[in-house]
Amino acid sequence: MTHIYNSKTPFERAALDHVSLKISSGSFTSLIGHTGSGKSTLVQHINGLLRPSSGSISVGDFVIEPQKKKQDLKPLRARVGYVFQYPEHQLFEETAIKDVCFGPMNFGVSAAEATKRAEECLTLVGLPSLFWHRSPFDLSGGQMRRVAIAGVLAVHPEVIILDEPTAGLDPHGQKEIMELFHKLNKNSKLTIIMVTHNMGDAALYSDQILVMEAGQLKMSGAPEEIFSREQDLRNMGLDVPETMVFLDKLTDKLGLEKGRPVFTLSETADRVADLLNGGAAHV
Amino acid sequence: MFNLVIGQYVPMESRVHRLDPRSKLISVFLFVIIVFLANSWLANIVLLLFCYAGILESRISLPFIFRGLRSILVIILFTFFLNLFFSSGGRLLLSLGWIHIYQNALIQSVFIVIRILVIIVVTTLLTLTTSPMEITDGMENLLSPFKKIKLPVHEFALMMSISLRFIPTLLEETEKIIKAQAARGSDFTSGSLKNRMKAIVPLLVPLFVSAFKRAEDLAMAMEARGYHGDTGRTRLHKLVWNRRDTVMMMIMALLAAILILVRVSGCW
Ligand SMILES: Nc1ncnc2c1ncn2[C@@H]1O[C@H](COP(=O)(O)OP(=O)(O)OP(=O)(O)O)[C@@H](O)[C@H]1O
Ligand SMILES: [Mg+2]
Repeated sequence: MTHIYNSKTPFERAALDHVSLKISSGSFTSLIGHTGSGKSTLVQHINGLLRPSSGSISVGDFVIEPQKKKQDLKPLRARVGYVFQYPEHQLFEETAIKDVCFGPMNFGVSAAEATKRAEECLTLVGLPSLFWHRSPFDLSGGQMRRVAIAGVLAVHPEVIILDEPTAGLDPHGQKEIMELFHKLNKNSKLTIIMVTHNMGDAALYSDQILVMEAGQLKMSGAPEEIFSREQDLRNMGLDVPETMVFLDKLTDKLGLEKGRPVFTLSETADRVADLLNGGAAHV
Repeated sequence: MFNLVIGQYVPMESRVHRLDPRSKLISVFLFVIIVFLANSWLANIVLLLFCYAGILESRISLPFIFRGLRSILVIILFTFFLNLFFSSGGRLLLSLGWIHIYQNALIQSVFIVIRILVIIVVTTLLTLTTSPMEITDGMENLLSPFKKIKLPVHEFALMMSISLRFIPTLLEETEKIIKAQAARGSDFTSGSLKNRMKAIVPLLVPLFVSAFKRAEDLAMAMEARGYHGDTGRTRLHKLVWNRRDTVMMMIMALLAAILILVRVSGCW
């Protein structure tokens, strides 16, 4: 699939260049890449916000193609939720809770049911109930983000697209939100597609990682596979998770060989213990 | 989504781009006046040729400009038919029920369309080849005599440059908000009028909120960088009047002379 912005004007530019990929339902996929590499453009095709200039996208039994006349995308959007890069772009109601109800009610859920869902989802994203009846514009950036996420969860989608969901949250909040999506993915079998600049999050939570550069899909695979190609990543201006950086430094110091990539803190600790016990043989 | 050609700036290299904004502004101003001298075929052809030459010189592709004109096609057609149906004079060409079309009316309508067309092409060419910054600088410079009588020229120029600067930003923002709300199932492209009106609220509220926020941030950022109005302010880009600007003025004088000549001689 290819996407060209401002086609046939002096501002024409190809944001996506023959990208092909498959995302299986129930999986957690992370999309990484340098700023401007086309990540947001790519994911906006998944719920039909953008149409491809050529190629096609299928989601379940929906097919989005360039020429096809405008079809009703509402059912698709009820199934594919989208959390935007900057949440303040979508809040408008008088109170946070009303804003969360907006999505479900658009998709035909009754007011009572929507309110029930909104309360559930606001609890889920960890917004204290004293903020529920305040204006969304009086909230902090991080709180707005939580309201926005709740607003998308309340629709009960099967797929959720997250465009940098943790940007602007404090470290604790980042962890909380990531854990929430991890849980939703594991327990409720929600398909998650996340755009992120945080390599640690990508490594820790994903089944599949996609790497974009200049509108092209450069790599795809399991986190271990992707992050063992450290040099390629660095050439694209990307990093590897901190845990790996730390272990690399340590193995360097000890004059040992690099091991398999690890992402969690406890695995890292295990590895360090092994290394310090002179257990290079283990690697 | 927003294919706005009119009012957009296309950074490129061409003789028209390199002209001083003041000479371009004066030329456009003059042009808009002398256009009204043209009341003959010859004069109108001269105007069209002038526009065509301008477009060629600016290196902006003709189809791109045409696409911009498409957005005002309705206005042009409306004016054309209004004139065609409701003025008279000359031979009766066609008569359909209550509609009578006269020869003079037809010619006048064509002239009026050409007039609108050339004015729009020339002003579009100005904005396409001159950055908003340059336009306001030129404007401020040309209007600076009015500072003597205490007109806030600098403030007006600043206001204008800020609004010009933020048009694309606001459009982008609008597009983003439309997308964000569409993702939540709101839809203002279909459904009954009432539903569409209702769907506007979720678009306008965030748009206003972010516009106000932007204005506040901008004011703060300007003050933080020591902006204190006009007095004692120096410029990064000085306007330079070159030979080509004088040449441009000559061309305009020539054009005016030709149009006056054609009009007085009454040919065609
Ligand atoms: N609405 C638009 N009109 C024109 N060009 C656009 C538009 N949106 C994005 N682009 C261009 O397309 C390219 C890809 O943009 P995209 O937003 O997909 O990048 P990204 O990978 O999400 O970057 P980031 O990490 O900064 O969010 C960029 O070069 C950008 O300038
Ligand atoms: Mg992005």
